Amino acid sequence: MKMADHDQELDHLFAAARQHRPALPEVLAVRIETDAEAVRLQRLAPVPRAARPIWRRAFDGIGGWRGFGGLAAASAAGVWIGFSAPAFLPDPANYLLSQETVYLVADLSLDVVILEETE
Amino acid sequence: MEDLTSGPPLARGDTDAARRLSDAALLGRFADGDAMAARQLTDRLGPRCYSVALRMLGNRAEAEDITQEAMMRLWRIAPDWEAGHAQVSTWLYRVTLNLCRDLRRRKRPDPLEDGIDPADSTPSVVDRMQDAARQDALQSALDQLPERQRQAVVLRHIEELPNPQIAGIMEVSVEAVESLTARGKRALAAILAERREELGYENG
Repeated sequence: MKMADHDQELDHLFAAARQHRPALPEVLAVRIETDAEAVRLQRLAPVPRAARPIWRRAFDGIGGWRGFGGLAAASAAGVWIGFSAPAFLPDPANYLLSQETVYLVADLSLDVVILEETE
Repeated sequence: MEDLTSGPPLARGDTDAARRLSDAALLGRFADGDAMAARQLTDRLGPRCYSVALRMLGNRAEAEDITQEAMMRLWRIAPDWEAGHAQVSTWLYRVTLNLCRDLRRRKRPDPLEDGIDPADSTPSVVDRMQDAARQDALQSALDQLPERQRQAVVLRHIEELPNPQIAGIMEVSVEAVESLTARGKRALAAILAERREELGYENG
């Protein structure tokens, strides 16, 4: 067989292959469209809260960066007041640093008082 | 040029409106949440993707999986698609061919499990059988070609794509495509010559 015959034979085969080009199977089309819909909905939906790590949820629970800033400022103020209290507040440092022992006694024996009054 | 990537969502069955849109415009609409755009893209690109995968792999189940995966990558890239960067079909053909190549590398080619059926409209049983044998012969001959030659031959002679687009898909020059196609055809002819008696081609 000559080269030209080989080419002709191949051309026949290619023509037949083009004629019998497969259609997209219906089941496959459904699979592809289901994927597309899943991707589309995933893109439209917000990230589910449960998917976030626990530290992130705790952080958001105190109000995010704004809440964290407030918490830090309040803590710093507390430390400052603890060591350098304004005049109108009792200075807790004195209690801690003084050598004197202060006793605070609470009399919880109300029943005795009540008994005495009734007697 | 009118920006067709945005606009009202396509109504179900509004194929005329969809037909006027380019693949890239439909992809843009899909990225904006238009579900009908996905259906149009599936109708338009799915069969091409499946046809190439089937010719590259010679196996229906594998070709279906590869087509689904290639289309999935298209859905995922939609929001990041850059208009004017490349034709959507060129990108999708490239993804499909790469997926086929990776699959074949993972799994060495087996004998054809599932040949490609001929159409049922041929006049006689003998003709049908010969036609089927020829198609199987073409498929098994394609299967014996080196990967790049097979890609070039399938894209040129079965998908009928122009050489510049094939060059874009395969990321080589047009001259390289011509060379691969010519060598592929010569190799196919040699493989088929060995099987001529078996095919009964002289009767056809």
